Amino acid sequence: MKSSTITARIALHLGLGAWLLLACLPIFWMVLISLRDYVDAFSSPLKWVAPITFENYRRLWVAQAFYLNFFNTAVVTLSVVTVSLTVGCLAGYAFSRYRGSLGFWLLLVALAFRAIPHSTLLPAFFSMFDAMGIRNTIFALVLVLVAINQPFTIWMLRSFFMHIPAELDEAAQIDGCTRAQAFRRVIVPVMWPGIVTTGLFSFLLAYNDFLLSSALTNGEKMTMPAAIANAITAESETLLMQGVAGAVSITIPLILLVAFFQKQIVSGLTQGAVKG
Amino acid sequence: MKRKSFLQFSAPSLLLMLALLAFPMLMTLWLSVCNCTPQMALVTVQQTGPFGATTVTTQRAKVDATGRALLDCSFVGLNFYRNILGMDKSNANGNETSPTKQGSAGDGYNEFIGALRFTLLYTILTTPFILVGGLAMALAMNHVTHRLKGLFIAASLLPFIITPVVGALSIKWLFRDDGLVPYLLQQVGIQVFWMAQAWSAQLLVIFYGIWHVMPFAFIVFYAGLQGVPQDSLEAARLDGASRWQQFRYVTLPHLASLLVFVTLIHLMDAYRVFEPVLVLTRGAFTTSVQYLTYAVLLEENNAYKASAAAILTLIGIGVLLIPLLRRTWREQRGSD
Repeated sequence: MKSSTITARIALHLGLGAWLLLACLPIFWMVLISLRDYVDAFSSPLKWVAPITFENYRRLWVAQAFYLNFFNTAVVTLSVVTVSLTVGCLAGYAFSRYRGSLGFWLLLVALAFRAIPHSTLLPAFFSMFDAMGIRNTIFALVLVLVAINQPFTIWMLRSFFMHIPAELDEAAQIDGCTRAQAFRRVIVPVMWPGIVTTGLFSFLLAYNDFLLSSALTNGEKMTMPAAIANAITAESETLLMQGVAGAVSITIPLILLVAFFQKQIVSGLTQGAVKG
Repeated sequence: MKRKSFLQFSAPSLLLMLALLAFPMLMTLWLSVCNCTPQMALVTVQQTGPFGATTVTTQRAKVDATGRALLDCSFVGLNFYRNILGMDKSNANGNETSPTKQGSAGDGYNEFIGALRFTLLYTILTTPFILVGGLAMALAMNHVTHRLKGLFIAASLLPFIITPVVGALSIKWLFRDDGLVPYLLQQVGIQVFWMAQAWSAQLLVIFYGIWHVMPFAFIVFYAGLQGVPQDSLEAARLDGASRWQQFRYVTLPHLASLLVFVTLIHLMDAYRVFEPVLVLTRGAFTTSVQYLTYAVLLEENNAYKASAAAILTLIGIGVLLIPLLRRTWREQRGSD
């Protein structure tokens, strides 16, 4: 009886392991061919082993100045996370403490906003930003990304705030703090893990954005995902291989993120879904 | 908290959403019933070339003091809507319809209807696989040894965390005509040109959807499984229930609300499918509603027609959300 359980467990591990390897196959393959020339990457018949070269990366990062795009992504992502969390924490706290029905309806409206397809806002954005003269700027992109992600951010922060008992606020206020002081000095330090988790998701939403980034920025101001957009229709082999190198470059920070922040990611995904 | 404090705290966020979400939606509505064309003026230009000087009369857009083109805006009502829905027999906007659109006989390819059809197909086909697959993974992961759990969970999260464009591109590179999958298939005698036909490209988009969202379902269900009441399971086991019966009568009901949650989130996100359609099909024979607005805006360069497409898209998601909103409203009403 015991041995069959052991074989069953080994079978389960092997099966699950194989399934996961298969799920990560596109990523593995992408990394593999990024280290090859075009003739080796997409040859027929397929080459399992081929000479390794870093030429694609060199061409992309140095010749095509991908480091500029990396810098743009860094600026955009950090700005979006900072502003999102600041504005969102205030709102999330308010939504968690306010008992009136206005709060409920506003939250519902915010959730409805989360369902908006991003491209439906583009025609209006083009007109608005053209008129204000900020069409091709990082500033406009940051504002748009913050606003688009507010519903999700508020919702996630609110559910974290709900776990902090209101008695804590009251105790701070009895001790002489105003609401704002209570918020800043007492609640926020306690909330820190929730803020980190929400910041992580804010980071992912800003870092992974493609539609808005590619539509609202151009040339030197592009973020990394927008910059490799030409890999979608690349006719030239060199451009295609640079696109592969770019795709891998974009993914490496994400792999590190999953490795180090796995617990927070899981906690964030289950927030509000699973009680307690 | 008093209402005043509530408004003070949430003001920055609400104002941002008002300015960049609500207002643009209204503006899109306005744009969708307009059409602005640049005012043209006849201009006589002297051109000097190697063969001497000539005077040429051409049309150029009139510009104002800041260099921006002067526009002639007129209210065109539902013209663009009719155009996109394929009810137009003549092109009201005067632009040529894209020759790449595979259309029915005659003009007025049902751009929006076609896009909506595939979007719904994508939603309906991806959802069951995501739910079943996510559940299966969650059940399996429950039995994995503690030491390997971290690695397995991290590996399973990767398709979900990866940038959608990059994910779609990686699948495209796998299935390219000279990629890994066609090569392996050829070894068994099957030859498929994945990007060249409608059915295979659509299948790839659906496959991407399942690949990308299954980890999300898995994580939510896995967390839910940790909370299954152990005493109920014990009681069922003592009563002689088989493993399947334990699952069906204790575990599954406990996960019911999570199944609904994942389905709802996925429905909202599936309606907005964009990156795989862009990367894997380039709009050749498959479009989604979000892709349509994007393509009309950036390729046909028609912001007004794109606005009409956008409003139709928003109406679509509104229709999908209405049952949910009504139920929530009724619940709230009942508890007042």
